[in-house]
Amino acid sequence: MSHYDLVIIGAGHAGCEAARAAARMGRRVGLCTLSRETVATMPCNPAIGGTAKGHLVREIDALGGLMGEAIDATGIQFKLLNRSRGPAVWSPRAQADKQRYSRWILASLEREPRIEWIFGVAAEIVVRDNAVRGLRMADGRLLNCQALVVTAGTFLNGLIHIGREQRPAGRYGEPPSTALAESLKRLEFRWGRLKTGTPPRLHRDTIEWDRLEVARGDDQPTPFSFMTDRIRNPQINCHLVHTNEKVHALVRTHLDDSPLFNGQIKGIGPRYCPSLEDKVVRFPGRERHQVFLEPEGIDVEQIYVNGMSMCLPREVQRAIIRNLPGLEAATLLRPGYAVEYDFIQPTELRPTLETKRLKNLYLAGQVNGTSGYEEAAGQGLIAGINAARTIAGDEPLVLRRDEAYLAVMIDDLTTQGCLEPYRLFTSRAEHRLLLRIDNADLRLTSHGWNIGLVTKERWERFVDRRRRFEQNLKTLRKTTVTLPDGCRVRASEAIRRPQLRLKSLIDSGEIELKSEEKTKILDLATVETELKYEGYLKRQMAAVEREQQQAECKIPQGFIYAQIPGLSAEVVERLTQTLPTTLGQARRIPGMTPAAIAILGSLLLRGSKRTLGKDKQNRDIMHAGHERKGHDPKARAPRRSIRASAQR
Amino acid sequence: MFNTDDTIVAIATPPGRGGIGVVRLSGPNAQSIAGALLGNRAQLKPRTATLATLEEIASDNDTERIDQVLVTSFPGPASYTGDDVVELSAHGSPVVLEAIVKAAMRSGARLAEPGEFTLRGFLNGRIDLVQAEAVADLVDSVTPLQARLAYDQLEGTLSTEIRAIDTTLFDLIAGLEASLDFPEEGYHFIDRRKTVTAIVDISARISGLLAGGRRGRVIREGRQVAIIGSPNTGKSSIFNGLVGAGRAIVTDVAGTTRDLVTETIDVCGVPVRLVDTAGIRDTDNAVEVEGVLRARSVMAVADLSLLVFDQSRPFDNSDLQLLEETSSYRRLIVANKGDLPLAWSSDPFTAVSSRIVKATATTEAGLEALREALTAELVAEEPRRDSPAITNTRHLDLLERARGELDRAAQAVSTEISEEFVLADLQRARAILEEITGQRTTEDLLQHIFSRFCIGK
Repeated sequence: MSHYDLVIIGAGHAGCEAARAAARMGRRVGLCTLSRETVATMPCNPAIGGTAKGHLVREIDALGGLMGEAIDATGIQFKLLNRSRGPAVWSPRAQADKQRYSRWILASLEREPRIEWIFGVAAEIVVRDNAVRGLRMADGRLLNCQALVVTAGTFLNGLIHIGREQRPAGRYGEPPSTALAESLKRLEFRWGRLKTGTPPRLHRDTIEWDRLEVARGDDQPTPFSFMTDRIRNPQINCHLVHTNEKVHALVRTHLDDSPLFNGQIKGIGPRYCPSLEDKVVRFPGRERHQVFLEPEGIDVEQIYVNGMSMCLPREVQRAIIRNLPGLEAATLLRPGYAVEYDFIQPTELRPTLETKRLKNLYLAGQVNGTSGYEEAAGQGLIAGINAARTIAGDEPLVLRRDEAYLAVMIDDLTTQGCLEPYRLFTSRAEHRLLLRIDNADLRLTSHGWNIGLVTKERWERFVDRRRRFEQNLKTLRKTTVTLPDGCRVRASEAIRRPQLRLKSLIDSGEIELKSEEKTKILDLATVETELKYEGYLKRQMAAVEREQQQAECKIPQGFIYAQIPGLSAEVVERLTQTLPTTLGQARRIPGMTPAAIAILGSLLLRGSKRTLGKDKQNRDIMHAGHERKGHDPKARAPRRSIRASAQR
Repeated sequence: MFNTDDTIVAIATPPGRGGIGVVRLSGPNAQSIAGALLGNRAQLKPRTATLATLEEIASDNDTERIDQVLVTSFPGPASYTGDDVVELSAHGSPVVLEAIVKAAMRSGARLAEPGEFTLRGFLNGRIDLVQAEAVADLVDSVTPLQARLAYDQLEGTLSTEIRAIDTTLFDLIAGLEASLDFPEEGYHFIDRRKTVTAIVDISARISGLLAGGRRGRVIREGRQVAIIGSPNTGKSSIFNGLVGAGRAIVTDVAGTTRDLVTETIDVCGVPVRLVDTAGIRDTDNAVEVEGVLRARSVMAVADLSLLVFDQSRPFDNSDLQLLEETSSYRRLIVANKGDLPLAWSSDPFTAVSSRIVKATATTEAGLEALREALTAELVAEEPRRDSPAITNTRHLDLLERARGELDRAAQAVSTEISEEFVLADLQRARAILEEITGQRTTEDLLQHIFSRFCIGK
């Protein structure tokens, strides 16, 4: 029998972050996975980042997580999305060399002395006194642990569909987890079934590249990690093609063979990542759709066909591909497929990602209904941190929505649950202007340091950078500059002019700021944003403070909603399922009415619940029609029976 | 108050004696309690008035008739409150109505709190917040026009218009959000020029509502008119003449103010509170000094001052002083006592731009001229039925704030700032609009984006 502080099931993007964080925080970790080969694998698109997802990676990095450094070391095409817009919506994205990415993560986990690998199939969660005690493996091994983090991905009762062909699988070519799914189901969590899909892979050498439009990355790649000074890898190009009417006609002809349209698939797929079938059926007016051809690595032959996720029969997929210009002779290495899998409704979780039903059981990643490597990694990091802290008796780390996209995601999940695979968007963050990639470290690195996850090297770098930032702000507020039109104003005022950029003030020698050569863009972006958009930031901060009051209005544990008069049965049910911890969280539960929040708020603020209505039988007769005016009690008539005598 | 599982009862008509009075029951036992009061003899058909005799069990097992009533049953959920509702129309004596209420209470009903019927309607989702507020206004209205506006609001005219504005705004936000979250989709969701046009259009629609709102507030809250002048110029005759036309609605004599008499009259649908004041003149008499002080303070807060001059008497210094003193106020000048010979050597009002009425307050024609002048001053524009007039200060305030955010957004777009900042303003505008009517979530936003645009790889 083996003893661990923490056992983690799954070594995908969630499991790896959880394991590394807990190990770095001093816990002894058992990391349970099927094989070394699939650690941190990317079963779908070969890219990290994108809008909001890029923000997540920056935040993971600022807290001391793995993902940012891993993609910087193995990325082969970097792009800063939304570069023409303001800094709040700049989002980094990079194509990864899939294999190198996996190996990089594996190597860094193997360097952690406190991580022990457990290869095999996880089978049963061992429970005693309503708390997790250990994990039994399918081969009978018993692993004792104080906390268990389940990051099962799409493996719980996974079922792959390719045309009418179905086979149980977690990922392509890997067996599903049925025993673990059974064990979790016995714990009576609320379940759902989702669907996701992936496009076919083509052979590199069978594509006529010269005929395709080139899609380049940035000339100067922007790294994800605050620790990366420069991207050293050679950068590659992707290519762009468009679908055409022939392709759409093929899809329409074979819709009956698509499990998505013939009733074979019950799970709900993501609207933001529609399959080719969906695109053709739901948007018949679109003449063409974009398709990106993305290499899965520098020296690999697999080409990922981004934008063509489908689950039509193999031969139909081949015909569709060969109807694209330049792909007439393309070889299909692997068809696209859809996978259905079980997930646990994340309303079963606390904001720490511990389950409400079972102590010391944490869930992270796709098992919670999310999609995306970044969403998984972010949850894994938070689950790992909180499991590590809780077993040591420390306060868990719960971030606020105005502090991190990580918190926006976890709060959305735990208060609203999932109806489709959850993806983060910048529009989900009501305080978007405060949550930028340039200030992720200013928001989060102190947290990472305080919990013992941030290394000394990162901390020193951060402290320098924070000092530079504060000094630069001061300099800008003090220094007077001369503008091209001859005006002399404070630099901090000048920057507010829409067309004026901080860089031009520096280039013209009007002002001198401290900046580290390697992180110059970042250093300048933060001060420039703080001053240029000060009005916007202040208004957003004011909103944060107002919401803070609601957020701080705590709902006691064990609060019985069914006893509150005036709440509809539906609202009571939602509250009872979600068990919000604050009034602010309750407000965000779907289906909550303003009236219900008003009632709840007034009860919480009054502190104790009064019985209403019972003691009023003897009061004077009120005239309900006259809602504003009191009724004169002296006008009360003596009670007596009378005969009808009034005239009409 | 927030209990909704019991049955409540109250008199629904105003206090006092009327032709008929209505007692309303609402809750799960409304029908059985009504049945008990009617001796279980009357068969109640939904939404049909049934004539029945209301009886009460007296102490010696004898029944006593209370009244003959018309009973209408409104089964839930399609009732005013969403619960089962029964309304009993009886003869309008307070004694009869209270007897009915008490009989219902003995059968298990609880006396309703003020506003509780409406609250139940709100909690049961029968009406939204705007409509709930309209109910309160409707029952408080004292002129027919007030009632009509409140009724329009209850019908949902205002909610519908605000929701329509909100929908347009939501559409715009969705386009801008899609541009930010899906920058690589290869097509533009909305361009800068269209964004400005859309924002300006929404802002103009809110301005339209606000313009109606100023009008609506006049109707809802009424106007105060002070009658000012030297002693014996005929102020009180004017006051009595205007009030005595038989249209005074509320008699509301201020007990503590010995020399300020007020009455409310209906001037073309606007409730106008007339205040008669003491004659203004220089005096040493302590009581009179106090009266003059009060007259001046009323004049300062009134929406309009009626300056009354006696044209059968020479225009003297104190008249002139009054004219100068009030030059900054909104005023209507009355040259009274036109039936007597004119004593003014020249027109004292040549330099005055205010409206002037020559009238004789003791004749019907003179009063009519006065009423017309008052109407012209106070009811500049007759509200139209097709555009909702906002009467509630809360709504006006929120709409004004929403418009402020929109104007800021429009300005931001013109400085070529990026969408996320414009969105920060637009989202606040939306949040404010939704304080008026309801709630929308990010999920709804994404739903909207995905249903409109083909997005995603």
